[in-house]
Amino acid sequence: MAAALCRRFFSAVRVSGVLQAPPGACLSGLTLNLLHKNSTKVEPLYQCKFLHTTLSRKGLEEFFDDPKNWGEIVVKSGDEWHAKHLRNKSNEDLHKLWYVLLKEKNMLLTLEQEAKRQSLPMPSPERLEKVEKSMGRIDLVIKEREVALRLLQTGHENPRPGEWRNDFLGRTYWYNSKEWPIPWYLNKKYNRRKFFYLPRVEHFIRLRIEQHLKKQARMKSLEKKKQLLLQKKFPHLAAQSQN
Amino acid sequence: MATGKVLYPLYQLGNPQLRIFRPNFFMTLVRPGVSQPEDTVQFRISMQMTRVDVKNYLEKIYNVPVSVVRTRIQYGANNKRNHKNQKVKKPDYKVAYVQLGQGQTFQFPNLFPEKEETPEPGSVEDIQKQFMENERQRQTADPRRGGVTNWFGL
Repeated sequence: MAAALCRRFFSAVRVSGVLQAPPGACLSGLTLNLLHKNSTKVEPLYQCKFLHTTLSRKGLEEFFDDPKNWGEIVVKSGDEWHAKHLRNKSNEDLHKLWYVLLKEKNMLLTLEQEAKRQSLPMPSPERLEKVEKSMGRIDLVIKEREVALRLLQTGHENPRPGEWRNDFLGRTYWYNSKEWPIPWYLNKKYNRRKFFYLPRVEHFIRLRIEQHLKKQARMKSLEKKKQLLLQKKFPHLAAQSQN
Repeated sequence: MATGKVLYPLYQLGNPQLRIFRPNFFMTLVRPGVSQPEDTVQFRISMQMTRVDVKNYLEKIYNVPVSVVRTRIQYGANNKRNHKNQKVKKPDYKVAYVQLGQGQTFQFPNLFPEKEETPEPGSVEDIQKQFMENERQRQTADPRRGGVTNWFGL
């Protein structure tokens, strides 16, 4: 597992434009294990045992796990990437990590499909969830950074322009603009949409507001009732929580 | 971009090619149902990917030389029914047949080889195995009888 990750990391570096090292040569010394935070073992690249010596599956090998793990029931994997750790990484690092995770997910999907085909259980399916969550968190961190930059440069939070509009039923919603090749006054479908409401709808707006307020009141009274019940059942805990 | 509906910028004739920084598209290598030529690799890809996308994906991310890609969409059947007698649809997916360049070949490996399990001495499995072996030995008849059953006395 760790060996495949070393290979993947260096192939990611290769993709970014560094000179391609011949497949036989190995980089000794420190290998950065970007995939899992708390990995069990970090092997230097020269200890990796390749499946074959020809170049035919040099790239396609990455669609499969380390050959040592084939046939195992449980494959150990480390912790997933959390947002607070990802926020400390540079954009370049996040970009590279995205591709490492992408390749890992491809490998896991391949394994899952093959397991289904052979009617066998997939070894450690929780790895898929870990990878998906980590990728989602990378997205989140990058979105946060984009939003911050955009706020500083333009003063807007969202990338798409929009505004609050009323629909024909009197409901207010955030209307996101869409990119069109023609101006709005030539857009037949758009011109048929009504962003205003007639006076008869005001009565129903009041009813809707009443519904919303009643629901809120109901939830509040339910909370109060629950609190009273708990106090009656466990008076000693109420005294403790007050202190 | 995150999963869900992704809005791409509008394309008009003459616009530059759209580049994506962190692609959210995944490719699953599958074992072909029908035997394929040696240089052909079969993938299941997202419905939004084209053959050009597949070629660029493999060349840039995996550094695999690709000569040609052919795609087709596999329709997922809608005849199965659940306990409420509602039709359950199997999802559609796109299949890509990638022919490798530079005369490379690919054979789908066996990802679930049979492994000989040697239980470590002192563990529960080892004790169980020992017990079962002893039981089996007890059940077998006396070999000196030469396979003759106990029905024949003496």
